[in-house]
Amino acid sequence: MIYAGCDLGTVTAKVVLIKEDKILAYDAMAYKKHPKEIGIEVFSNALAKAHLSPEQIGYTVATGFGKKAVNYADAYSPEIVCLNRAFRMLHPDVRTIIDAGGQSIRAINISNRGKIIDSTTNEKCAAGTGKFIEVMAKALELSLEEVGRLPFDSKKPVTITSQCGVFAESEVITYVNDGKERADIVAGIARSVAGKVSSLVRRISLDEKVAMVGGVALNTGVVQYIEEELGIKLADLKEKPQIYAALGAALIAREKHASPSPKTHT
Amino acid sequence: MPVGRAPGSPLIEHRNNASGFLGGKHKGVRNKMIVAGCDVGSLSAEAVFMENATILGSEIIRVRPKAEQSAKDVMEKLLKRLNLTHEDITFTVATGYGRETIPFASDNVSEISCHGRGAHFLIPGIRTVIDVGGQDCKVISVDEDGNLKDFVMNDKCAAGTGRSLELHAEALGIDISQLGPLSLESDEAIVITSQCSIFTELEIMHLLMEDKGIANIAAGINEAMARRVKMLVGKVGVKKEIGVTGGVSKNIGVVKCLEKMLATKFIEFPEDPQVIGALGAALFAAERAEQGHK
Repeated sequence: MIYAGCDLGTVTAKVVLIKEDKILAYDAMAYKKHPKEIGIEVFSNALAKAHLSPEQIGYTVATGFGKKAVNYADAYSPEIVCLNRAFRMLHPDVRTIIDAGGQSIRAINISNRGKIIDSTTNEKCAAGTGKFIEVMAKALELSLEEVGRLPFDSKKPVTITSQCGVFAESEVITYVNDGKERADIVAGIARSVAGKVSSLVRRISLDEKVAMVGGVALNTGVVQYIEEELGIKLADLKEKPQIYAALGAALIAREKHASPSPKTHT
Repeated sequence: MPVGRAPGSPLIEHRNNASGFLGGKHKGVRNKMIVAGCDVGSLSAEAVFMENATILGSEIIRVRPKAEQSAKDVMEKLLKRLNLTHEDITFTVATGYGRETIPFASDNVSEISCHGRGAHFLIPGIRTVIDVGGQDCKVISVDEDGNLKDFVMNDKCAAGTGRSLELHAEALGIDISQLGPLSLESDEAIVITSQCSIFTELEIMHLLMEDKGIANIAAGINEAMARRVKMLVGKVGVKKEIGVTGGVSKNIGVVKCLEKMLATKFIEFPEDPQVIGALGAALFAAERAEQGHK
């Protein structure tokens, strides 16, 4: 039997299809239209990659900000539960999960028995999020990939003083006008994001091993600064950082199907 | 241009061509002194020239990449229009975000004092000035002489600033000048739940995807803006008369919402409310030039 996990985040939608413990296919897409349509499109893409039809999916669990827009879901599950589920399978020794996505940052503590014991999330503000990085990339006319790579070329990172993404953007433009090196500006941005993520993580306990997932984890510059800031080495990931919540949802789908219960809205 | 009245002074008249009046030399002639106020904000720059408590003229431009250039350009524009040269200006006070980087200014004064002073010059009865500019929002309380009594300011978060309105208008696909008029066509404002301007952009995108009416979204944006400003006003207290200065004063939607939330009516300035900071700077320039001549 094949199971699907669908994670409709605030910026990207992801679908993972699994059979037993194996990932058959996944797809990720940035929003261009209504979440409902994106949810369907990303699902169809994943099915096409695995050469499957929708009827072959035994059970689907949706998670993320837009989970209620997934009209083909059999059940819903909160993000942190899905993340923990994926980590239990792939990295059972991880005790702290950092999830930095488009609009939200989370830090989760897991007990040595695999239970969520503490968690925290950013509120109200885009500082430190993927969207923040996107705004800066746009201001610098750089791709997200370049923004991830360029900090390594920096000799003298600038200091971004504003927390606020809107104000940081004008700071970035001022630096460009002052003729600062792009690598130095990007390094300043990466530091600012790392600082914000790290301060959130410090609100819970920093139990090792620590792993980071979510779209921001693709930014190697930010990842390196977070390691410096927290004085730790982040665990190596076995899968793409954005798909962990969707993978967890698919694993939960498999379990729910094995022990069916009425449609739950947990 | 409308006409304003200074406390205890005769009716101010605008003189669009001051060249004849100058007669080339004005060295040491105290009562024929032209002074300038130059306000370089984060989004726009303004200049006001005054002579004997009379406003000669004002200009507004969009900021250039550097504060220094913005100041230079807005001053040049006004000099040209009034047929004046740099030498005709006795004293210039700079204010605003970029005030410390303007080389030709004789002095600089904080925009908070300038907005208080400028508003009080136009409306002597004013006690509260709500100044919503491009990158900050301030509520200023002044005494009967126009001196600063108290103020609160938000410059940490873009929520409640002109820049956020600009971004949200862009997300809606309209010009910022349309945001006010469009919101008046709304039958029900949509409640914007995000506080962060960047998240609000995403929220607007989602609302557009759901085909919510653009007028109702515009009304929601203005209402959210007014809510933020109201919070700030609450910290200083509402004392009449109250006036709104800065670029956001041009958004009728925000102004109407804020009047309703504060259960008050704002005073109307006889000048463009966007130049009041520069006007205040010109008043400080006049005062300092006087002192220099004593």
